[in-house]
Amino acid sequence: MIKKQWNQDLKAIPFLLPFFIAYVIFTIFPIFKGLEMSLYEWTLVRKIEFVGLENYVKMFSDVHFWRTLWNTTFFVILTTPAMVLLALGLALLANLNTKLRTFFRGSFFIPSILSVSVISFLMIFMLQPYNGFVNNIIQMFGINWEPMWMADRGLAWVTIVVVTLWWTVGFNMILFLAALQDIPASLYEASEIDGASRWDMFRYITLPQLIPIGRVVLLLQILASYKVFAQILLITGGGPGGATRPLIQYIYEVGFKQNNLGYAATMSYALFFILLILSIVQLKNQRSGEN
Amino acid sequence: MKKGFSTLIVVVFAALLLTACSNSGTTGNDVEIPEGATEVVMWNLFSGGDAGYMDEIVTAFNESQDKYFVNNVQQEYEEYYTKLLTSVGSGKGPDLAIAHSHVLPELVSQGLVTNINDYAADVGLVWDEFNQNVLDVTIYDGNNYAVPIDTHPEIMYINNDLVQEAGLLNDDGTPKFEETPEGFVSFLTSLKEALPEDKIAFAFPSAGEDPYRIWWALYNQLGGENIVSGDLENPTYALDHEKAITAANYIYDFYHTHEVTPINLADFYSDFQSGNAAVMSTGVWATGTWETTEGLNFTPMPFPNMFGQEAAWASSHTFVLPYYNEPDQDVQKGAVEFMKFATDNGTMWAKAGHIPAKDTVVESEEFKEMPYRSEYAEVADYVKYADRTVHARGIQDIVVRNLDLLWAGDAAAEEVFSTIEKEVTELIAE
Repeated sequence: MIKKQWNQDLKAIPFLLPFFIAYVIFTIFPIFKGLEMSLYEWTLVRKIEFVGLENYVKMFSDVHFWRTLWNTTFFVILTTPAMVLLALGLALLANLNTKLRTFFRGSFFIPSILSVSVISFLMIFMLQPYNGFVNNIIQMFGINWEPMWMADRGLAWVTIVVVTLWWTVGFNMILFLAALQDIPASLYEASEIDGASRWDMFRYITLPQLIPIGRVVLLLQILASYKVFAQILLITGGGPGGATRPLIQYIYEVGFKQNNLGYAATMSYALFFILLILSIVQLKNQRSGEN
Repeated sequence: MKKGFSTLIVVVFAALLLTACSNSGTTGNDVEIPEGATEVVMWNLFSGGDAGYMDEIVTAFNESQDKYFVNNVQQEYEEYYTKLLTSVGSGKGPDLAIAHSHVLPELVSQGLVTNINDYAADVGLVWDEFNQNVLDVTIYDGNNYAVPIDTHPEIMYINNDLVQEAGLLNDDGTPKFEETPEGFVSFLTSLKEALPEDKIAFAFPSAGEDPYRIWWALYNQLGGENIVSGDLENPTYALDHEKAITAANYIYDFYHTHEVTPINLADFYSDFQSGNAAVMSTGVWATGTWETTEGLNFTPMPFPNMFGQEAAWASSHTFVLPYYNEPDQDVQKGAVEFMKFATDNGTMWAKAGHIPAKDTVVESEEFKEMPYRSEYAEVADYVKYADRTVHARGIQDIVVRNLDLLWAGDAAAEEVFSTIEKEVTELIAE
């Protein structure tokens, strides 16, 4: 029996190997290389000298690290609840048995297949002051207001959050939609016979059934939001004056513009640990929820 | 069926992600090298018009002789220096590369570029033919580590029709204003008053590099010299805050006090190009764009020297010879031959708007016959380059980011420069 099992496992190896090799070279190796780098003074070109934990000590007193980490966290706080709830709402809408169903599904998801540069330039084009599309619409209604969507500290955040929602909510919606379709129709039929209203069905069948996927969406969303970078870089450049600069942009600037890969690796590790802790907390939560 | 739809979408999504990550990894293009010719792989960082003119120079060189063949590879500018530094550092870079003058300190101090003196003597590259002010930016410890192709200062352009309409154009085509701080402001405010409301007096961005460049010019005109000075790798902080603040507030007033420049213009190039702005300021490279714009009647001129000393922000494109432990001397000689050819034929490069690095070219009839260029060629004699330090790019990021706060009205000049002092001091202490 054991021998047969072993034999089967052996057969699996050649199928797993190609991916495993790529995974080791492109993911596992850089992880350890990055850890090594964070302990050295290391430029773009070469390793200079071993500095131990010096980079980590420096990080704790680096105001830019804390400010950009806060900016990123602020983005997570703003987007995560909206992203999960909006995705749920859109999934419910797209699941309704109406003539517009295909239209809903398509139009909610289409932004997700566009690349970050496309959505960013689309937004820059629409939101620019003086002759932008959005401001023209506002002024068409007789409102004398020239909002600086990308240059005002408050509005820059509004812009980034709305753009990110519009761009990525479709993916979460698909996850919810798939889960919605997995709920057995028999549950609804049984409740109908028992005289449940539509609200009861939603409250006692749909929502509880969506909790597992909801957790997954929440975790994925937090991880994705903490890694925010490209759309901010392209739309506001981290501005005005660093007001929207996320941690990853700072890491990028330190590594590639200030030629200090060692310190950049250190901060990447800090982010990695933050994400690791958040994931563990959430997975623990999930397990206790399931019990 | 329902599931089929969502599965399909997930698959499409994954496929799109995967296709986004493909790239080729060789140094040169796949071009056919003529038989008997030695290939010289060159990396350039140009885009738009610049790229086309450099290509013409390369083609002309390749056709002018059959000993060497320059394989011109255009790289993406955003990641250019990251790629250049890492590839040369690991011995896999090009044979010849283009670098901005402000990046030379990094290349020189890390030993990534070769001293060109010997090759220059060999191929007959004469240093005396270059503009001394421009050549200086390539000399480190008395050695030539690069060959300057041009200097490209920040200058000013005026729309002749609009300035005329406002009654501010002299008979000789020059704008009517006294070259003093008050004179220039009153020129701009008069323009604003005289022109219809939908025209912009001075189209200029209120964020990014352009206002920083004008700040640098005015700071130098006031007699300020550096942000940091001294050793290439361990400089000391040297910004004169009083002059820095005066220069910055002068620009701030364009946006907020005199309101001759609308804040947060999305695209000041297109404002000028479409004939909606009377004045604009940017690098000389815009000349090539304006002269091919139909119906745009413009004049380029140096940005006014208003505060005593003549000074303008500028950078230079230069040729460098990446350093390798065991270089192929024939290839390197070919690279320097090309440097000589390209600088001798500086008029081809001047089509892009840049000022050729060789005085002999600027003084030639051929250059003088080109329209517009002579209006600002003199700026080459007094351009002020960024400080010579390996931190040049980091310092520029800090200064630009903090000045943006001033232009936006989020912080006062005093506050901005004390933050700059703190950040720059931290950066150079590393």
